[in-house]
Amino acid sequence: MRKSTSSKTKYLNPYLGGVLLGLILLAANFISGRGLGASGAIKSGVVTAVTAVNHSAAEKSTFIKEYMESHSGSPMKNWLVFEMLGVLVGGFLSGALAGRLKLQVEHSPGITSNKRLLLALTGGILFGFGSQLGRGCTSGSALSGMAVLSLGGFVTMMAIFGTAYGLAYFFRKNWI
Amino acid sequence: MKPLFWLAIFVIPLGLIIAAVPQNTTHPYKLSATELLNEANARTQFISPETVADLIVKKDPTLQLIDVRSRDEYEKFSLSGAIHIPITDLLSEENLAQFDQDVKMNVFYANSTVVANEAWMIIRQLGYSNIYVLEGGLNYWFETILNPGIPSSTSADEEFAKYDFRKAAAQALGGGTVSALPAEGNAAPAPRPAIKAVPKKKKAAGGC
Amino acid sequence: MGPLAINEIISENTNLFLAFVVGIGFGFVLESSGFSSSRKLAGVFYGYDMVVLKVFFTGAITAMLGLLFFSLFGWVDLNLVYVNPTYLTSAIIGGVIMGVGFIIGGYCPGTSFCGLSIGKLDALVFIIGLFIGVGIFGAGFNWWEGVYMAEFLGSPKISTALGLTDGVFALILILVALGMFRGAEWAEKKFPRAEY
Repeated sequence: MRKSTSSKTKYLNPYLGGVLLGLILLAANFISGRGLGASGAIKSGVVTAVTAVNHSAAEKSTFIKEYMESHSGSPMKNWLVFEMLGVLVGGFLSGALAGRLKLQVEHSPGITSNKRLLLALTGGILFGFGSQLGRGCTSGSALSGMAVLSLGGFVTMMAIFGTAYGLAYFFRKNWI
Repeated sequence: MKPLFWLAIFVIPLGLIIAAVPQNTTHPYKLSATELLNEANARTQFISPETVADLIVKKDPTLQLIDVRSRDEYEKFSLSGAIHIPITDLLSEENLAQFDQDVKMNVFYANSTVVANEAWMIIRQLGYSNIYVLEGGLNYWFETILNPGIPSSTSADEEFAKYDFRKAAAQALGGGTVSALPAEGNAAPAPRPAIKAVPKKKKAAGGC
Repeated sequence: MGPLAINEIISENTNLFLAFVVGIGFGFVLESSGFSSSRKLAGVFYGYDMVVLKVFFTGAITAMLGLLFFSLFGWVDLNLVYVNPTYLTSAIIGGVIMGVGFIIGGYCPGTSFCGLSIGKLDALVFIIGLFIGVGIFGAGFNWWEGVYMAEFLGSPKISTALGLTDGVFALILILVALGMFRGAEWAEKKFPRAEY
């Protein structure tokens, strides 16, 4: 696996990026009455996949039944799914313009790529589970929740960042 | 540091302004003045006492009578099944919840039409549907339903049919002393207004 | 006027199409700010790269101010905008689990899509993990349904919970955030790392 390059790449000034992000979030609220999100699209994907592959299990699942009850039509015809498809396109465009397109496993020089992949998988599983329990991820709950002053969003955000900060010391070898 | 400085310069004044300005908690008007005037002129919000009487007699569950007079007046006499929302409390949150639906016909009534019509106008302008006004109020109700006047012999057939119906209704609703024949087939009660389905107030979905 | 879709000024299909367009903007800005790199994202926890803090809070403040001003001008009806509900128990526990996932995996769902879009294979693996995690949650739903539904407080706003008006809270948040940004700049000077 190629090691990540150490050549400098140009990123947007973070404050400018933040303002732009805020404007996009504002647009989402103005147009659709809701904020941004991400984990819900994964949920739609899981519901679709399970229903397609094993219909009887889907019938018995409370999780899927509740989802179908509150969403009419196909689970993939969903605001978040369309948004995440847009994210893929937008990210690609930005990466292409900045010359950051590259197939790679990005990892700190201190660990191997295989270790990185294992960590990514573990992190993903935990995050996937947690996002369902917390009714949102950093985009949907924390960012969008903050913008509308939601208490639940704020609490989830504090829990995510607080925990990560608290455990950071134990995982420092993976990053620094 | 420079970008942070400019961010602060821009954002702090905005924050000060938004903190100082009182919050906008009014419910926006959904109907324009022209739209409301057109509806008021068309007088479609009126519902005749015969229709209401018919609904009461038939025990129609979609009828919801609303007494907008004072509590004393309401307690002294009210129509069967009526709830009490004095016009002074019309815009409280719980009372507004009564109007945000498409299952019942809310019919305002008072002693005459004036106050009930005021209530209708305010609620209608906030965008709610399925709101009506009892034509003539309780005064007309007493005249027509509870003590129906006998039409003179030269009146049209409809008048007689109406009279028969009213007598029957009066008996059912506890007014008048004349026993009457049950109303004829094509007797008066106007077809009750259809309940307008309110496009389910789209609650924004969200989160993740 | 707004929200457009709720007031039926635009159709549901237009809404979905615009969701796609909003997503493009979201993805573009995230990637341009560096959120496609797990190392940059994790940097906020070690001080060497505070981009997450800066972008996140600037974004939240901008959107918050935007919504409040729009409401002031009557351009949006805030009563119709979705406010995340508060289920206290699951909000905290879910957040903690996500925090562990974040420090281990270095991504969150939105940023992992960004990473995937420029070819990061660890982002792809993270996304696979997301599917598995959601699947596990769904499969065992009956076991944790109780926790999931516990302590439902409705959809309170932070400002109401603190007894402040929205505007005052916004101002306080702005000042706090600016303070944090100062701190962030100091941290980045103290723990520098090469850009990647």
